Amino acid sequence: MTDSGTGTIADGGRGVEHGDGTARTAGGDGGGDLAVHLDNITKRFPGVVANDRVDLRVERGTVHALLGENGAGKTTLMNVLYGLYQPEGGRVVVDGQERAFDSPRDAIDAGVGMIHQHFMLVDTMTVAENIALGNEPRKWFGLAVDRERIDREIRDLCDRYGFDVDPGATVADLSVGAQQRVEILKALYRGADVLILDEPTAVLTPQEVEGLYSVLEELTEQGKTIIFITHKLGEATHAADEITVLRDGESVGTVDPTATTQEELAEYMVGREVLLEADVEPRENGDVVLSTDDIVVEDEREVEVVSGIDLEVHSGEILGIAGVDGNGQGQLIEAITGLRTPDEGTITFDGEEVTDWSRRERIDAGMAYIPEDRHEQGLVMSFDLVENGVLGSQRSAEFANGGRIDWASVRDHTEDIIETYDVRPPDADADAVSLSGGNQQKFIVGREFERDPDLVVATHPTRGVDIGSTEFIHDRLLELREEGVAVLLVSSKLDEVQSLSDRLAVIYEGEFVDVTDPDEITEEELGLLMAGEHPSERHEPTDTVATGDRGDAE
Amino acid sequence: MRARIERLLDRLIHASAMERIAVSLAALFASIIVGAVLVFVSGGFASCRTGLDLAGWTFCYNPIQVYYELFLGALGHPLEGGWSPTNFNLATTLQQTTLLIFTGLSVAVAFRAGLFNIGTQGQLVVGALATAVTVVYAAAIVPGGFVGTVVLIPIGVLAGAVFGGLFGAIPGALKAYADANEVITTIMLNFVAVGITSTLLSWRFQDPDSSNPQTEPIPEYAEIPNLPFGFGGTMDFSTLALAFAVLLMIGIAWLLARTSFGYELRTSGVQPQAAAYGGVDDKRMVVSSMTLSGALGGIGGAFWVLMVHGRWLENVPDLGFDGIAVSILAGNNPLGVGASAFLFGILESGSQSIGTATDVPPELVGVLSGLIILFVAMPEFFRMIGARYLHVEPDEPVWADGGGTDDGGETDA
Amino acid sequence: MAAGPTTEVRPMRERLPLPDSTYMQAVLLGGVIVTLLFLLFASPSTHTATLRLAVPIALAAIGGIFAEKSGVINIGIEGLLIVSAFTGVIVTFWLGSGESTLFVSHHWWGMLAGVIASTLFALVFAVVCIEFKADQIIAGLAVWLIALGLAPFVSRIVFGSPNTDTVGTFDNVTVPVLSELPLVGYLLFDTPPQVWLMLISAVLGWYLLSRTSFGRWVVASGENPKALDTAGVDVRKVRYTAVLLSGVFAGLGGAGFALGQLGTFAGGGETDIQGRGFIAIATYLFANYHPIGALGGSFLFAGLDAIQIRLQAAGYAVPTELIRTIPYVTVIVVLVFVGKTRLPDAAGENYESGED
Repeated sequence: MTDSGTGTIADGGRGVEHGDGTARTAGGDGGGDLAVHLDNITKRFPGVVANDRVDLRVERGTVHALLGENGAGKTTLMNVLYGLYQPEGGRVVVDGQERAFDSPRDAIDAGVGMIHQHFMLVDTMTVAENIALGNEPRKWFGLAVDRERIDREIRDLCDRYGFDVDPGATVADLSVGAQQRVEILKALYRGADVLILDEPTAVLTPQEVEGLYSVLEELTEQGKTIIFITHKLGEATHAADEITVLRDGESVGTVDPTATTQEELAEYMVGREVLLEADVEPRENGDVVLSTDDIVVEDEREVEVVSGIDLEVHSGEILGIAGVDGNGQGQLIEAITGLRTPDEGTITFDGEEVTDWSRRERIDAGMAYIPEDRHEQGLVMSFDLVENGVLGSQRSAEFANGGRIDWASVRDHTEDIIETYDVRPPDADADAVSLSGGNQQKFIVGREFERDPDLVVATHPTRGVDIGSTEFIHDRLLELREEGVAVLLVSSKLDEVQSLSDRLAVIYEGEFVDVTDPDEITEEELGLLMAGEHPSERHEPTDTVATGDRGDAE
Repeated sequence: MRARIERLLDRLIHASAMERIAVSLAALFASIIVGAVLVFVSGGFASCRTGLDLAGWTFCYNPIQVYYELFLGALGHPLEGGWSPTNFNLATTLQQTTLLIFTGLSVAVAFRAGLFNIGTQGQLVVGALATAVTVVYAAAIVPGGFVGTVVLIPIGVLAGAVFGGLFGAIPGALKAYADANEVITTIMLNFVAVGITSTLLSWRFQDPDSSNPQTEPIPEYAEIPNLPFGFGGTMDFSTLALAFAVLLMIGIAWLLARTSFGYELRTSGVQPQAAAYGGVDDKRMVVSSMTLSGALGGIGGAFWVLMVHGRWLENVPDLGFDGIAVSILAGNNPLGVGASAFLFGILESGSQSIGTATDVPPELVGVLSGLIILFVAMPEFFRMIGARYLHVEPDEPVWADGGGTDDGGETDA
Repeated sequence: MAAGPTTEVRPMRERLPLPDSTYMQAVLLGGVIVTLLFLLFASPSTHTATLRLAVPIALAAIGGIFAEKSGVINIGIEGLLIVSAFTGVIVTFWLGSGESTLFVSHHWWGMLAGVIASTLFALVFAVVCIEFKADQIIAGLAVWLIALGLAPFVSRIVFGSPNTDTVGTFDNVTVPVLSELPLVGYLLFDTPPQVWLMLISAVLGWYLLSRTSFGRWVVASGENPKALDTAGVDVRKVRYTAVLLSGVFAGLGGAGFALGQLGTFAGGGETDIQGRGFIAIATYLFANYHPIGALGGSFLFAGLDAIQIRLQAAGYAVPTELIRTIPYVTVIVVLVFVGKTRLPDAAGENYESGED
């Protein structure tokens, strides 16, 4: 039964090309050895049916992908299996036995482990402390934690599954990939036979993703069962023996990845045909709007996170910055937008040096900024849209007169944004918190674009946004580019930066490792760059912007 | 994490104005009930000649009588014969109301900026001394009579505001530039304020004609006149002062709702990161909102001097601490502070009635105000009771596009 | 990563209850120097006064550490000190001071009552914060203000004044022979019992927090409650236990201070506790949540207090009112320097299980 799994993953190991080229056999013998059977599960939240009579059958020793768009109910379904939610209807059957999990504890006891998208690790504690958390073996009549035993058991697990993890390391010091392995170890330590992985690749580099695939292979070989939540078609067809597609809380069906194409799967997911590629017309560059010279930024702990970055963004150009989260792009953007003072270097905007300018001065000078975190930064969640419409312009001459805000004109402006950017519901008095993620983002995009900016800094502009809004936001970005606005785009979505950008810079540990033409680089090469390695066959840079950094990197 | 913040915010927001008022009233009601139980039970430990005998145990205090004295006594017993609206008790109530509006506003402004100013008391003490000293010294060079009144009162209020503001700016600056927790620093500064003012008093400003620790009296014409009507001169209450307090209250409400500064202050209060994103200098905002808060506390001190005693006394009443309760009961809404201050004015004045008409210790009022804060802090408690017995369903957000709340929002696509 | 045998010798630091960051080591070194100077130059009576004045601060700080580490900021710890101190005195008075019941001195029964009262208050605070999701700071302030009103209220009923009558203090526990030793003799072996309670509590607190699974859960509950929840541990139970523990420790501190040092309790104004609960909060921030560090920090504030009292008695030209502010100003100075103390990630946030 595990043969097919092995074959699949070995195939996948050669590359990450998408498409239906990956050959595989159907998962397992088709026999009735189900590790998990979710039968007719219904889970409601006030106003929403998150799971509507969903059926899921997972065979033992296989990788089963649960595929669907954001909001399709994948995570809810798995939270039901993990005992975090109690379903309103249906049966949970694990190992042929019907179960009622009141808490994760029950699920853990039944051998179900879950690796959440946001790792459930305590950053300040060590690997060993995290792995044993809640299951500490004790000594001295229960008066003390038996730390030697924990270390020993972790080493045994590492030996068995081929992990390389130091039990004494502090979690905060580990890479994301290593943290994920700690999470997997944590589940195994608790004796999990069924492992649920929620969007496990979201924060990994392509190389780390490959590493994950081989871990999954090792696990299924040893008889573990994997349920893999994803909304990425490529991953599902790549790693899974079987795929169950969810849409709007309902199960669309279970398919054999070898017998289907990505286009078909996409149609299952979205319910209509989708185009997977966006086309960008090349265009001439204009004047330099933004440039940075040797920017160095230290974070709160006085660790250098941006180490001498030079960049130039021209009008009518989209400069993309690709990189795994946490490689300094956040601090670089904060330095550019005025939320953080760089420790060294200068920033020039529209021909003026703005390094010492406050955030407000930069806004007034025509710098629009779509922040990474719309819940904390981009919107005041408890304010209505009118009040949010003036955020950043609360002292501009357009809306404020002698320190007094003209709320009537702010309201008009807000209603314009709502209409132009199709924010739903079209209610200026609605609180920001009541909007869905996509609509919140459209509102921010609208507010920022309507500043009539010379530069738009967009960080992860479509993170957590549905496909429809994503297309809309991409179109607006391209429109701005047509109008001659300079755009600096940061995203961890490779397809997004690759398809939208005119030039693509790759950031790794606070430095640009390369600046390339996005059309001339494969995703795999990009992945290597993002991991800080140069692909053997290097692309000649299309620009001279980052000369210094290229030199460093060689 | 984000979902949690959202939900928390949601709870706050969907508490509409009506619901907040309902929660405040329910909290008041619950405190009164708990207070009644406390009074009744503690009566079992007091000694008295007549009381309620239950199972061989004598309970001395009658909670109903206590509350009767507390609430109606504060108004001068309007249900009894010979009541006049300008009675001494009502004057005391309104006097306390006036002062509590200032301290309540002080706490509310800081709260709205996301800061806990427990130091209004200290700011009031410092501001009050500044007022008294300034007026005493200025009186020497300003002519008396009407001119003196018109010149000295604004000067005195200004002095209180400036020194209260400066004293409030200290914890603001410590918070902004050294990240020192303002709850602790303001509490510590209350002790420091007492120490500094006492030291200054004994060093220079002590009234030589008195053995009490107090400053020289300010001239009578510098006290706020009891205009426009009828509370007698001995009552230490001026409707003019109350009118000023109400105007100030409206002014602060306007400032918060309509001005750029107010917008920035509120944004900093609910979501500091969004404020920084929107171009607010967060450090400067912390200092300026604490300064404003301190200035309001200082004005409270000025009115305490100019309206009540005509001098500064070392034993300053806990107006600043009561301001915390006033503000919290008002939901930190400046316009709610008026009603809330009136209620606490009743409690303060009523405590004196309790003290004279019953054997129950007036400190009951301190317990009551603590209870009110405790209950206001837990709206969830009343919501649960409401959901259980009144079948009021709590507001849950329905997502505008019908999307699920589960995996949305933070997925990295 | 060699798979070392279990008998492997771990570094000293791991076996001893010492803090591990360089910042804390610097503070520790400074502390040792100041302590030596203090022991050399201050008088024995100042030494013993310091030890006794440290009791409420150290115990309240140890309690506060548990609450805050678990994610519940207990700013009402001042109120817990007031309640336990007051209850301790009044129950001792009520039973009759100087007598005993069941061979146990009424001072100890008073102490027990104080601890129970403080723990009950902590329970109310825990219910309000955990069950009804109140803002922790506001609820803590409420606990403080209620205690501030309750103590003089009850005192007036019983004694007709906001201050209680005097009930006397614990007798010193004198260990023969050992008490003759220089320095340690009068410090540790001829000392009232609450000093020993404080020392034992600090070690116990450190052990609980760093060596037991409960301690690990407390840390996880404050840093990432969701991680603890998904690991199958009930966050609510951990937080309840931690807050109740803060009540027990604060109760020992308050009642120990009142019955071992004051022998009476003044409930007027700021009461006899005089902000020591808030000083305790500054103390544990200063000690970066280390119980034994908090003990050391409490000596700093108590030492200043003891010196301040001596200065007042000595009658220098400096006004006593100004001298009295020394400990408070020091708290502010300390907060300015430790402003960067990292609070637990989830401190102050209410946790709701099952949220996404």
